[in-house]
Amino acid sequence: MVSELANHRTLTLAAVLLAAPLGIQAQTNYAAEAAKNPGASSRPTPLLADGHPDLNGVWHHFFGIGTIQKVGESFTVGGAFSPKSAGLYSQPLRDSKPEYKPEAAAKVKLLNENQVKEDQTLHCINPGVPRLGPPHQIVQTAKQAIFLYADNTGNQWRVIPLDGRAHSTDPETAATYNGDSVGHWDGDTLVVDVTRLTDETWLGDNGLLHSRKLHVTERLRRAGDTIQYTVTAEDPEVLQKPWTLSRTLTLQTDALEEAAPCIDKDAGHYVTGEHHDNTR
Amino acid sequence: MRAINRLWWAAAAALLWALPAIAHHSFAAEFDSGKTVTLHGVVSKVDWINPHIFVYLDVKDDSGKTTTWALQSLPPLFFRGSGLTKDVLLSNKQEVTVTANPAKDGSGAYGFMIKLSYPDGHVFSMSPQDADPNLRGKK
Repeated sequence: MVSELANHRTLTLAAVLLAAPLGIQAQTNYAAEAAKNPGASSRPTPLLADGHPDLNGVWHHFFGIGTIQKVGESFTVGGAFSPKSAGLYSQPLRDSKPEYKPEAAAKVKLLNENQVKEDQTLHCINPGVPRLGPPHQIVQTAKQAIFLYADNTGNQWRVIPLDGRAHSTDPETAATYNGDSVGHWDGDTLVVDVTRLTDETWLGDNGLLHSRKLHVTERLRRAGDTIQYTVTAEDPEVLQKPWTLSRTLTLQTDALEEAAPCIDKDAGHYVTGEHHDNTR
Repeated sequence: MRAINRLWWAAAAALLWALPAIAHHSFAAEFDSGKTVTLHGVVSKVDWINPHIFVYLDVKDDSGKTTTWALQSLPPLFFRGSGLTKDVLLSNKQEVTVTANPAKDGSGAYGFMIKLSYPDGHVFSMSPQDADPNLRGKK
């Protein structure tokens, strides 16, 4: 009877954990990454020779790491779908939502309703900044920081000069997915200022459009073996006020592997518009 | 025990319902979870691609005609560190049994792979109880 009760509890737990939240949050493995490095934030913060915090390292893997497990000779789902670890993948990020001006809000609603058609990232196009999310790996020197990403839409990089230069003023410089980034240190915080972003991308899932006037500011502050990453999007053309979201990144011990090529084989098969978030 | 069995199946059903939702877009936009097809064939090709890997299965009908099924599975990152790779999937040339949810759009030979079973009994499955002896005993 004791074992039956234990089973009852386990199975109920499994049912609760595996039901509704996973469909939305299964890809947010920040908490699972933090769990692999306990006490990370209380460690000393290393500095480089130039006195700035050392941001070098792999800080995040885009979704799903460790989801398939080997059990005996078989392979099955684990990670987000194991009762033992599902909670780590289903922790809500509690992101605030951008507040749009009425005309833009109507467009956002329409894009969201047609996301399987309208969301370019579902068809292997770059998410762009800021939707690309926090860097997966940082390579830092005194003169520049390189942000690397193994996104499921493809491998991405950003070169961020730290030499005090201003944004390019060349009118021929086109707007791009990742924009024009320049960085500087504000005390112990790396501040990255991004302009010239194409309006073909969204701020995030669910039709969060922006205009060419988008201005993005990222702030990265290392605390022990964690980085507090915040990104603020200012777009007075469509947003009522600046929108900010935050992530806590944890130093990872495994290498960043290149993303497999992204080839859209789904486009011709959508029957309904059902979709879910692909939170980065 | 009946209540426990029911609970187990409720948990398993919840899992199966939730699992495809981790795919890149919504599983429900493409595949019919209410229908299952069972296929016998040989893995002839694997696309190790984002947003999901594809396993191709050559299935012979009674007349000897071969149809190649394109079977969508999970994103490639999900397999990282598991030991299940493109080479592993391709190296086994035995006839396997696959259960899949077919495409809703009626396009033939296209589905989402739920379970791939090898003759020796080992599987690649979306249901943990298929591979975990501890869970299997609880059915």
